[in-house]
Amino acid sequence: MNDPTSEAINAVFRNEVALICGSLVRITGDFDLAEDLVQDAVVIALQKWPVDGVPERPGAWLLQTARRRAIDRLRRDSAYRSKLQLLTDGWAPEVHQDPDDRLRLIFTCCHPAIARDAQVALTLRAVMGMTTSQIAHAFLVSEATMAQRIVRAKRKIVDAHIPYRVPDEEALPERLAEVLAALYIVFNEGYLGSGPDLATSRDLCTDALWLCGLVARMLPAEPEVISLLALMRLHESRRATRFGAGGALVLLRDQDRAHWDHAAIAEAGALLEQARRLGSPGPYWLQAAIAACHAEAPTFEDTDWPQILALYGALVRLNPSPVVRLNRAIALEHVAGPAAAMEELDALRVDLDGYHLYWATRAELLRRFGRLDEAAAADRRAIELTDNPSERALLEARLDPNALRAIGANNN
Amino acid sequence: MKYMLLFIKDETEVLDEAELKARYAAIDVWFGEIGRDGKLQGGEELQPSSTATTIRWRDGSPLVTDGPFMESKETVAGFVTVDATDLDDAIAITKRWPVKNQTVEIRPVIAHEAMPNHPAG
Repeated sequence: MNDPTSEAINAVFRNEVALICGSLVRITGDFDLAEDLVQDAVVIALQKWPVDGVPERPGAWLLQTARRRAIDRLRRDSAYRSKLQLLTDGWAPEVHQDPDDRLRLIFTCCHPAIARDAQVALTLRAVMGMTTSQIAHAFLVSEATMAQRIVRAKRKIVDAHIPYRVPDEEALPERLAEVLAALYIVFNEGYLGSGPDLATSRDLCTDALWLCGLVARMLPAEPEVISLLALMRLHESRRATRFGAGGALVLLRDQDRAHWDHAAIAEAGALLEQARRLGSPGPYWLQAAIAACHAEAPTFEDTDWPQILALYGALVRLNPSPVVRLNRAIALEHVAGPAAAMEELDALRVDLDGYHLYWATRAELLRRFGRLDEAAAADRRAIELTDNPSERALLEARLDPNALRAIGANNN
Repeated sequence: MKYMLLFIKDETEVLDEAELKARYAAIDVWFGEIGRDGKLQGGEELQPSSTATTIRWRDGSPLVTDGPFMESKETVAGFVTVDATDLDDAIAITKRWPVKNQTVEIRPVIAHEAMPNHPAG
């Protein structure tokens, strides 16, 4: 028996669940049924393992438990009989495992015909072995809402015949973009939602990094997968320095760079070079290259802003979204001064009126011009627009006159 | 697996004769391809929605009115049923549709022979 800590259990789920779920989908041809059986086994494991310990062969244990659930269902529901017969007939102690099953499963969960939030939820359940309750908790929705979202998506997979397959070469770039977007949402939810204490039952950043690493191993010639992995590693390398006393967010320029994970930063740099050799820079490569510029700067003042501005320029050309343009405006301030940045911000106001980081950025710029009352109003607007406690703590500190002087001093 | 492709277009669009001819020629090629692949089941192009008649039941009695079921600039202009291997195949067929300023909705068709009760009833 191993140590039944929650991280040990999560690691087992990461290694086993997708393989088991994938092979059951292949055998039964029914995504909905297979996924339900594995989820049942996961829920039972979460009750038993913390008490009894993790079994010697956890994969076999999960499979055996899923099989017992299948037999229970067979007794209750005759509609499942023919499919369950397939399972009970051909069910050797270990279902034949095909490594590609995991990739097929990921592409099915992240099919573009499924809404993005459901793609994310399905991936976390079917591939990572998270429970509906854990996913609902992580994404701050009720368990009933999350369960409904998952049920609807699974019905669509079955009713619309969404295939269980890795897409062909022609469709791969577009389909891979869907998978990467879902993975990045998982990572960001963990990164932005985590707050200073990581006492949640499941660390989504670790899950997203693991899953992205898996996809990178299975599709080693895809530069955007490697780039997303580099991007996640770079964010992760600064994670420990993102929160100060009282749980307030610490801005990049105020973070303690000595405590960044420099080995991870170097590794991400190597990944970026590897990705660059495989193809022209895509959106994740550009974002990771920007993150690398920040991570590799010895001090905030040494940041290579012209390089960052150029990378943002390339990113805007690929994806001219208002949020990307906002980030470019921040780089522009460091290269061309606050007036140029303010001009950009004014142009973005209509699009980003409801985005808290727009107002927080605007407040910072207004302070550069000494327009303190307007800055305070913009910070108050940002506070209204965010529920994240760490971001609120930072913004509220800026509004406090004593704290304001301290931050103002840092800026100079 | 059978899917219906519903073609939705902006009815205010005006094409001159040459444009119309080019469009139909391209559409013919598309039909030719899916026909050759043995995937074409059927389909029709519809008269404009100004010719539509809608029947609704009010307290059990039919009420016949002029016009489509929903007034909109965009309406269903036609449909095609295809026999595709799965949704990805149906998506691939639809992506080759040559008219790029339209919308196509893909709906899986219920296989009634396998169903004891018609759910539409």
